[in-house]
Amino acid sequence: MSGSPKRLTMEQLDRLCRRRQAAGVPMPAYAGPLERHVADGDRRLLKLLYDDSAAALRLWNFLLTEEDRLHEARAAGRKIVGTMKDLGTVPVMAYALPNLVAFYPDGAWWTPCVMELSEGLFGIAQSLGLGDAMCPVRAMAGAFVNRAHFPLPDLLTCSVGATCDDFSAIAQRLESLGYPILWWEMPSRRQPDPGEPAVTLPGGFRAPESQVALVRSELERVRAALSELAGSPLADEELAAGIREANRVRAILGDLRRLAYTADPCPMPALEMLIAEMLAIHFCSDRAESVAVLTELLDEVRRRADEHVGVLPAGAARLFWVNPVADLRVMNLLEDCGARLCGTEYLFCHALDAIPQDVPPMEALARMALADPMVGPSADRAARVVRDARALGAEGVVVSRIPGASHCALEGTVIGGIVRDELGLPVVELEVPPVADPLWPTLKTRLEALVETVLERRKR
Amino acid sequence: MNRGRAGRVKTVVYSSPFVPAEWIAAHALRPRRIRPDPAAASPSAGPLMGVCPYARAFMGEVLSAPAAGAAVFATTCDQMRRAAEWAGRGGGPPVFLMNVPATWQTPAAARLYRDELRRLGRFLVHLGGEAPSPARLAETLEAYDARRAALRGALGTLSARQASEAIARFDLGEPPDAHGPAAPDLPRGTPVALVGGPLMRGDTCLFDTLEKAGGVVVLDGTESGARTLPAPVDRRRLRDDPLMELVDAYFGTIPDAFRRPDTALYEWLNRERAASAARGIIVWRYVWCDMWAASAARLRETTGLPVLDLDVSGDPGGLARSAGRIQAFMEVLK
Repeated sequence: MSGSPKRLTMEQLDRLCRRRQAAGVPMPAYAGPLERHVADGDRRLLKLLYDDSAAALRLWNFLLTEEDRLHEARAAGRKIVGTMKDLGTVPVMAYALPNLVAFYPDGAWWTPCVMELSEGLFGIAQSLGLGDAMCPVRAMAGAFVNRAHFPLPDLLTCSVGATCDDFSAIAQRLESLGYPILWWEMPSRRQPDPGEPAVTLPGGFRAPESQVALVRSELERVRAALSELAGSPLADEELAAGIREANRVRAILGDLRRLAYTADPCPMPALEMLIAEMLAIHFCSDRAESVAVLTELLDEVRRRADEHVGVLPAGAARLFWVNPVADLRVMNLLEDCGARLCGTEYLFCHALDAIPQDVPPMEALARMALADPMVGPSADRAARVVRDARALGAEGVVVSRIPGASHCALEGTVIGGIVRDELGLPVVELEVPPVADPLWPTLKTRLEALVETVLERRKR
Repeated sequence: MNRGRAGRVKTVVYSSPFVPAEWIAAHALRPRRIRPDPAAASPSAGPLMGVCPYARAFMGEVLSAPAAGAAVFATTCDQMRRAAEWAGRGGGPPVFLMNVPATWQTPAAARLYRDELRRLGRFLVHLGGEAPSPARLAETLEAYDARRAALRGALGTLSARQASEAIARFDLGEPPDAHGPAAPDLPRGTPVALVGGPLMRGDTCLFDTLEKAGGVVVLDGTESGARTLPAPVDRRRLRDDPLMELVDAYFGTIPDAFRRPDTALYEWLNRERAASAARGIIVWRYVWCDMWAASAARLRETTGLPVLDLDVSGDPGGLARSAGRIQAFMEVLK
């Protein structure tokens, strides 16, 4: 690349891609112009702005070709595990076995956005009784029924208990349609009672040992199912190796986040960072390649930080973002409004923290699973947001609500209140539907107001 | 019974059927399973948008109930789990969040429920209650079991509204003779099953609305109805391990939409529906309640009966607005 990095339209990015191809620049087999995916119906791609680096192009291609990888894995005789809801735990186990590949059917929640509702998944969900008062993850049910977005898994697991009701209800509906599910219990994480033996979890939350033991026993059931599916036992040694590999991904991502969220000017756009963070939860169905993709991205960010160049003007308002957005384009909007990301909590911070390697592997995974921000009190989650926002120098916080999600209404209010009290930062709550175009003026106004407030506060 | 500063027995309020009244009573405290007042779901009781009206109302009722010694919430739904946190921050009585597992087919799930009862017990003792001996727990269970048997016997002689109100009085700890006389002439009409979430205070007028529309509830499968009565206890096992008997009676038997898998709910419904000869099903669910929202279509599939998916908001006049839908549904069933 030459010159300052910038954000490009898909057309500009594809032109760049073709030039690289023509010049014989080495690219992975799955790489190519994004217009291929538009032809398949991913029309939202036409409206997004992209980072202009080869690393980002590789990231996008890696993301958008996941379905192909899953089909290839099946054709190669590997078994497919659909892991639902836990966001980061079961895939670590599944990838410890060489003939298993895991993915999150939950990821279909972005399909209506990417295909701009042309795919009809919400319509199918509605016909199953899963209406629009539910979280967009209901698209997953439609994807199971029309079988057009991922191969049907050989094994489905789902964590339940202290999870969102939408997901639990949708998964139960799936089971009623003939997709057997291995349900495993996730207790509601609580503060240890006085004198109760307790453990500090990855990320800093505390939990009673008894809860960790319960999760460990539940994960043992998952281990047995994975072993049976793979046809070979999932031994502790393999699990430990799997944890080391997962930690490798997390370490790269940790470096990437630190640099991308602190360097000024902002070296990598919010949208690419969102995609990069998502790789941590299940490696986009190829663990080794996800390491390569993230490494290239980190190298690019390092180079830009060293050269003091970025995709946005220096001094952009530093915002901390809470919850993933149903419409990816909103991450572009944030930057169009004069802001940049300086930190995130996308509901899966437990998939970003290093998994302990100084305890037996099942104990480590149980601790990691129980560190899920969704399974504990909102105040815990708020405390983490406060800690990270403070460390990363946030000047404002955006709590992005997911329409219909059972946790969002009360949780957002709790988090917003604690952030205001403890950090004194301005907080804005937004609700982002899968295709937010009709709300664009409102969302833009609210983000602009937040940015103006942040910039005004700098003058004090 | 434990008495507070004013010399009154401390009251523990709750709403979930998975919180055993006899466990609280055995700790010498007064259990009150309440049906919250819809008016308690005021804007001061947390954000409006996206929050289940029932959870808001229970939360509001807890926050405005200084006389209550404590409130117990259950994790049976995400909204109540989060409402517990909200209520715990709001200056009301002490709040206990009881972890009721969603899974139920493993010994670990039953153990977790038992351990949560023990943890609740410690909370109750901290509140001023007394830890029961096994003998006292067994006696309390027997006493409740006998009262519940009498209640079950009475339910068959009452109209649906009377039965629902009798259960509500039982849940409040009122004596069985307060159930009132049996209806001399039970209402008649097209038989329907009422299935779904809990009722709030005053919601029993739903039964009148149905009767006016030409229907009669022959099966109350709401969370406030007979569906969530725990199973009778086994007297022999009771003496050996009363706590496990309590676990079996509640966790081992109550069918509900939040359980995973939820097969027991549909087995119960199929059995009871067949016995009741219901010709249609009304699903009583609150807006933002995902568990019951997802059940309406399944009920239609599994029973083959017409289903009215009645989403209720808990606001004044909400039921009146639903009257037209109920009337149309009853006309379809005729």
